[in-house]
Amino acid sequence: MSPVAKVLPMRRPTSEADALRDRVRALEDALRRAEAAGRETAREGLPVAVARLLQEGLAGVRWDSLARALSAAYFSWHSEEVDEFGFDRKFTETVRPFFEFLYTVWWRVEATGVENVPATGAGLIVANHSGVLPYDGLMINVAVRHEHPARRECRMLALDMFALLPFLAPWLSKSGAVRANPENGERLLRSGELVGVFPEGVKGVGKRFKDRYRLARFGRGGFVRLALRTGAPIVPCAVVGGEEIHPVVAKADWLGRPLGLPYFPITPTFPLLGPLGLVPLPTKWSLDFADPVATDGYGAEAAEDPILVNRLSEQVRATVQRMIDGRLARRRSIWFG
Amino acid sequence: MSRLAITGTSSLLGSRLLRRAVEARGGDAVLALDIAAPPATLDVRHRELDLTEPAADERLLKILKEESVTTLVHAAFFTTPRRDRSHSHELESIGTLAVMAAAAAAGVEHVVMRSFTAVYGARGQNPSFLTEDRPLEAGARLAWVRDKLEAEQHASAFARRYPDLVVTILRVAPLFGPGVRTFYTRLFDKRVVPTLLGFDPLVQLLHPDDALDAFEAALARPRAGAFNVVPRASIPLVAALHLAEKVPVPIPHPIAYAASDALWAAGLVEAPGAFLDYARYPCVADGEKARRELGFTARYSSRDALLAYLRYRHPEGVAAVAEARA
Repeated sequence: MSPVAKVLPMRRPTSEADALRDRVRALEDALRRAEAAGRETAREGLPVAVARLLQEGLAGVRWDSLARALSAAYFSWHSEEVDEFGFDRKFTETVRPFFEFLYTVWWRVEATGVENVPATGAGLIVANHSGVLPYDGLMINVAVRHEHPARRECRMLALDMFALLPFLAPWLSKSGAVRANPENGERLLRSGELVGVFPEGVKGVGKRFKDRYRLARFGRGGFVRLALRTGAPIVPCAVVGGEEIHPVVAKADWLGRPLGLPYFPITPTFPLLGPLGLVPLPTKWSLDFADPVATDGYGAEAAEDPILVNRLSEQVRATVQRMIDGRLARRRSIWFG
Repeated sequence: MSRLAITGTSSLLGSRLLRRAVEARGGDAVLALDIAAPPATLDVRHRELDLTEPAADERLLKILKEESVTTLVHAAFFTTPRRDRSHSHELESIGTLAVMAAAAAAGVEHVVMRSFTAVYGARGQNPSFLTEDRPLEAGARLAWVRDKLEAEQHASAFARRYPDLVVTILRVAPLFGPGVRTFYTRLFDKRVVPTLLGFDPLVQLLHPDDALDAFEAALARPRAGAFNVVPRASIPLVAALHLAEKVPVPIPHPIAYAASDALWAAGLVEAPGAFLDYARYPCVADGEKARRELGFTARYSSRDALLAYLRYRHPEGVAAVAEARA
């Protein structure tokens, strides 16, 4: 307002300037009144709205203030703008303390070799998948965020099955995960992001307890093609501890299929204890990052060479399996490491 | 004398295109084709044309020849679903057949057709960014989508048969902004808006000015093929509702589908239940091809478009608060 009011008198004849100033003043007054009215209703938060609802029923609901209070509550933990994949930084910041609790207290994660993750530019973290729900991806995310000097954000490629489930799907995309497909991976890597991927896919998460730590086939080497096309280094990562958080003793596919789930896990606590069975067991975790495998020396056309793709894929798989076996050999207790 | 003809000048996009074309080229270089005449204040040539008539193609051919039309914009499509399904089928699918046949016979050089990103369908298996080579949702549950799909197929078939005819298909994201009145913008006029429990897809809301820019870009550079016309950024549906200060009421999706089908059958809502797919799964298109080949980039993001709409609906209300917060 003020620059207009200051500049105008110098350019316009006095009478016109006065008229304009009057109008500006009138507008300012109107604006102030409107703002005061807005503040009044905005200040009437959720408790008042609920109290009014209890006292007067639906007739007592002041929709404007209710909607405004809900909106304020929503944007207190969501940002108004998300990235092209739906990653919401404010939401991530809000839920982060919970994952930090899981990381430091619940699973007491021990991370080694985080410095192998590139500090700048694209990188592809390739890990074994375990634990029914995608906790391992979250833990890798926290590790890279907290223990790496560059404090990078790792974007996880989430299985399609997670991206379709109600609640989990919007929640995952808000916390930075994207649907696992080559196009999305390439898009992220080309924009210099750090990407995490679990090539075992659904075969990995849905593993039975007796098959734990035995790596499933690493897909058809799609992650290697991705890395070759973008020249991003591959960082193999071994997650130990995740297999025991939800020990799957049996799978009831006849129950899962009508619900739209690829499998329905039965663990000692789920579905026996109901929602309590969703609490993961407090095992001791370790994350080991191996030396990065450079892929920029081969050129982008090497992605079409199936022999090379398979060799690199097998090399990464063997590295992960070796790290897992080493950890398991040294581990004395599931709970204390 | 070469003229630009626009069909469907009573439609939201058609009327704005007409206005812009008249401003840029003058009223004599533009021809409006519609059942209804354009506003009297707009000095433009108009020929009455009903695409649902049996002999629409012959009549259109005559008009195109008489008026020596070289470029045609085909925008006669319904954004809000109609209850009279056969009428919208006649207009959109068969009408496009008539338009393409007449254009090919009259030696029109370039046809720009309006389409919708909704033709990809909202499905769980959709990639995060739908590109133009993605197979369209064949056998869609919505008659609304099927008609648009058939129209595109007719247009592409004519483009293959007549190599001299350049057919540009613009798949426009849902329009949102000043003056846009459709079934989904009317949802944003209610205080309470039902949502699907546990689902919050990204949606793309395109400002109409961006859509007009895309048509201008397509007219300036005749390129054959389909192009997505999308806003700069998308927005999560629930965030959009909260930005508009609505009270979202989450409803489990099996109930929501059944209820909205029943309400549609009873004539109480404006769209059938299958539209809920677009509130459940993402249908986000990639605008890279239009940027590369047409040189079109949107100026507004989905959030800008939504705020522009709110400012237009409530000149001194919600939008002022939303802006004060920003």
